[in-house]
Amino acid sequence: MGVIGSSIKRREDPALITGRGRYTDDLSLPGMLHAVIVRSPHAHARIVSIDAAAARAAEGVVAVYDGRDLVPGGEIKGVPTGWLLPDLKVPVHPLLAVDRVRYVGDGVAVVVAESRYAARDAADLVEVEYEPLPAVVDPAKATADGAPRIHDEAPENVAFDWQLGDREKTDAAFAAATKVARLKLRNNRLIPHAVEPRACLADYDPTSGELTLRMTSQNPHVHRLLMHLASMGLPEHKMRIIAPEVGGGFGSKIHHYPDEAITAWCAINLKRPVKWTATRSEANLTDAHGRDHATTAELALDDGGRILGLRVETYAAMGAYLSTFAASVPTYLYGTLLSGQYDIPAIHVHVYGVFTNTTPVDAYRGAGRPEATFVVERLMDAAAEVCGLDPAAIRRRNFVPPEKFPYPTQVALEYDSGNYEPALDKALELAGYDALREAQKAARDDPKKPLIGIGLSSYIEACGLAPSQVVGALGAQAGLWESAKIRVQPSGSVTVYTGSSAHGQGHHTTFAQIVADKLGIDPEQVEVVHGDTEKVQFGMGTYGSRSAAVGGSAIATATDKVVAKARKIAAHLLEAAEEDVVFDPAADGGPAFHVRGVPDKRQGWGDVVLQAYLAHNYPDDLEPGLEETSFYNPSNFVYPFGTHVAVVEIDRETGEVRLARYVAVDDCGNQINPMIVAGQVHGGIAQGVGQALWEQAVYDDSGQLVTGTLLDYAVPRAHNLPSFETDHTVTPCPHNPLGVKGIGEAGTIASPAAVVNAVVDALKPYGVNHLDMPITPEKVWRAIHLKGAL
Amino acid sequence: MRLQGEHAFEAPRQVVWEAVMDPEVIARVMPGCKALERVGENAYQGAMKIKVGPVQGEFKGAVTLSDLDPPSSYRLKLSGKGAPGFVEGEGTLTLSDAEDGGTKLIYDLEAKVGGRIAAVGQRLLDSSARVIARQSLEGLEAQIKARHDGGETAAAAAAPSEADFAGRFAKGLAAELIPPERRPLAGGVAVVVLLALAYLIFRSCG
Repeated sequence: MGVIGSSIKRREDPALITGRGRYTDDLSLPGMLHAVIVRSPHAHARIVSIDAAAARAAEGVVAVYDGRDLVPGGEIKGVPTGWLLPDLKVPVHPLLAVDRVRYVGDGVAVVVAESRYAARDAADLVEVEYEPLPAVVDPAKATADGAPRIHDEAPENVAFDWQLGDREKTDAAFAAATKVARLKLRNNRLIPHAVEPRACLADYDPTSGELTLRMTSQNPHVHRLLMHLASMGLPEHKMRIIAPEVGGGFGSKIHHYPDEAITAWCAINLKRPVKWTATRSEANLTDAHGRDHATTAELALDDGGRILGLRVETYAAMGAYLSTFAASVPTYLYGTLLSGQYDIPAIHVHVYGVFTNTTPVDAYRGAGRPEATFVVERLMDAAAEVCGLDPAAIRRRNFVPPEKFPYPTQVALEYDSGNYEPALDKALELAGYDALREAQKAARDDPKKPLIGIGLSSYIEACGLAPSQVVGALGAQAGLWESAKIRVQPSGSVTVYTGSSAHGQGHHTTFAQIVADKLGIDPEQVEVVHGDTEKVQFGMGTYGSRSAAVGGSAIATATDKVVAKARKIAAHLLEAAEEDVVFDPAADGGPAFHVRGVPDKRQGWGDVVLQAYLAHNYPDDLEPGLEETSFYNPSNFVYPFGTHVAVVEIDRETGEVRLARYVAVDDCGNQINPMIVAGQVHGGIAQGVGQALWEQAVYDDSGQLVTGTLLDYAVPRAHNLPSFETDHTVTPCPHNPLGVKGIGEAGTIASPAAVVNAVVDALKPYGVNHLDMPITPEKVWRAIHLKGAL
Repeated sequence: MRLQGEHAFEAPRQVVWEAVMDPEVIARVMPGCKALERVGENAYQGAMKIKVGPVQGEFKGAVTLSDLDPPSSYRLKLSGKGAPGFVEGEGTLTLSDAEDGGTKLIYDLEAKVGGRIAAVGQRLLDSSARVIARQSLEGLEAQIKARHDGGETAAAAAAPSEADFAGRFAKGLAAELIPPERRPLAGGVAVVVLLALAYLIFRSCG
């Protein structure tokens, strides 16, 4: 086994687990001020007046600004949206609210003071008079007649009305069907909960006119571009964005929020560094939330349980404003995945993106694909019930067969490769499926035993975002390629500059493995640099499980370019024709070039590298130096898949669900570092189980977020979860140089459906056909003891 | 949030009525109430310090009474705001003669709470509000008793201290957590003490 494929321990961990990682809030600059943002306590209100006199007079306060101060010229600078759809309503999203607030947490003023405490105390002194307006929080109710209008630009509160697939063909499929499975589903709203809340530190140099913004970012270049274009107006080359250590993001640190731009604006205006760090409860109110769909879904089948068609209608909450990639999540990352692993001849999906008086909703780990998988995999179980088939059997019957790849779906994607049955088989075998069914039967008949439920989820996702031409045609305001620069130092060590910005994924390890493997050097000789717009060429960042598939491919391609150039030098040194020289990274005595068929006629890698910089004995037609850049644009998404099996035990008296076992068989193609793959799967499963059983952002009818702290919002903890049983199959991606697919989101995509299917399976004797997430003991108890009284 | 309840007073209706119409009396009996002054006919303004779980701060608010039907009932509307958020409420207060010659007070309020206090303290809010209400009414009872029993000065019945509030809050919580039939006396006391301690620690952390 080469360096690729080995479970090297994460090189970034020693610093992080010993507390030596330096996060944004750990950084300070001389003369630094602190910003605190005053936020609306109302979900929807007119701002009557803002009186900041008392706050300005408070000790240590340097300035207080409101929305009008930020727009002295009258033109409201706002936060942009980065993905457009036909007829998308894009309301202005000012940095600080002007005249009107639209969700609890909407910023109305910023207080800047000498200390964090002075700023916080003074924020309480800003007197804002509001005239409350009626609010709406439920996406299914926001479009009803008489619902409060949130934006004048969107009279019906509809941001977009989007369809994909063939309606007529789908209607015909339903007309021909003898069996129909139908479900109404709520995909619960989630709060991302990155361990590190969002933060930024802005430093402006009035002499050079340069702004340096250190911030919690998954994509510093994208943030710089968006801030240049929309909110700040500074020239791009005068802005430097640095992402220091970033403590997780799960999507929430992709987006351009007002807060970082407000802080930068304060630093420019006051000519002093300004820091802003969200509190945990502030993060809960303002980090873009995830999911929040209300869906009706139907599956048409024939007598044999073959799928004829799928019809889906979804109301997706956008929240109060369109966040950066909000419009893409419930459309092109959701509707396109509704074919699942199945050969479905007709699909139609209709999505309404709906404004509500809630925190904006955007990409959260999985982004659209967990929602799609939940629809498809819940329907498969409902269909199994309707058709009297075992859940495993109905899936097997409808899988896209291996000979049909590349497989064009009815919803705009072309699956590049896949082999679904072996993953299902492996998962069933690992779980001991038949024995589990026996145990389930025995437990049902013994009232003293907990009920047992078994849930399958055969998921697919499209990740490795994304082929630039394709996403451009679909409305993305950016290409989704990735960049890499490989700099070979004269002494042979390597620095990798990647546009993919790590925040927990293990780039320092896996990216070094790619280069080390290709060059035959020790991974310790490879340094990975990311997260700084000044150091690194433009890059698109980390999200959508794209780092290995797109960022890694860029690194592989750039490394190939380095080898190609070194080969020219080696050919010159060996006095051989270039085409006769081959590179052997695994040669005895170290990586070397040699003349084909004559291994003894060789030039060691180190000698060639040194000559690239000495250029004493050097080809005339070649520039010195050994440094290559690649901008890799994938030709397709990648399509990881797998089958997960959840086994739950339910206490009949309390309704409590215990996740007894969890089996995951994933196929992410070739694995660069299996330990990191397993780590991603583990974390993803935990988050998905959290959605299924515990997590939910709850708003009351007036738009107050009542789960605003970790007292009331239950994230999964270690003791809630069993040891996961993971395995994999390997179907390499055919179109990228590493044969890899993404694995960062797979666990979150597969697991909600697996767990809910397991619970519903356990409750079958009580006539339960669906329970909405999170499946609390109360819901289960009611289902058992008050049949139908849900 | 709906706040409902009743309280029995050993005093005639007119006496109770006068007490509930007297801002000074109300200010004295409400925990955390710093001032309540009359700013117009049946309109009052005041300030109240509130702590719910880790959230604390001062609310400034206004109370308006309407549909006065002395000595039987009035409607009240209150609105308050401060750093922890806002409260808006509307409801009725009704007095009726009790069989024992005393007076029965019934209150029924629908309140809306928003901001930090709603996000952070939601779970504690109901209990907190009920405790404030109960404590205010018990204070009122003491005031009325003092008045009724002759002494015009009622200094003895001062506003409850913070520790007193904590203890009562814990008692309120315990009462909700443990159904009455399972509330053994000794155990109940232990739970109350534990919860009171927990609450005090919690508050000092906030």
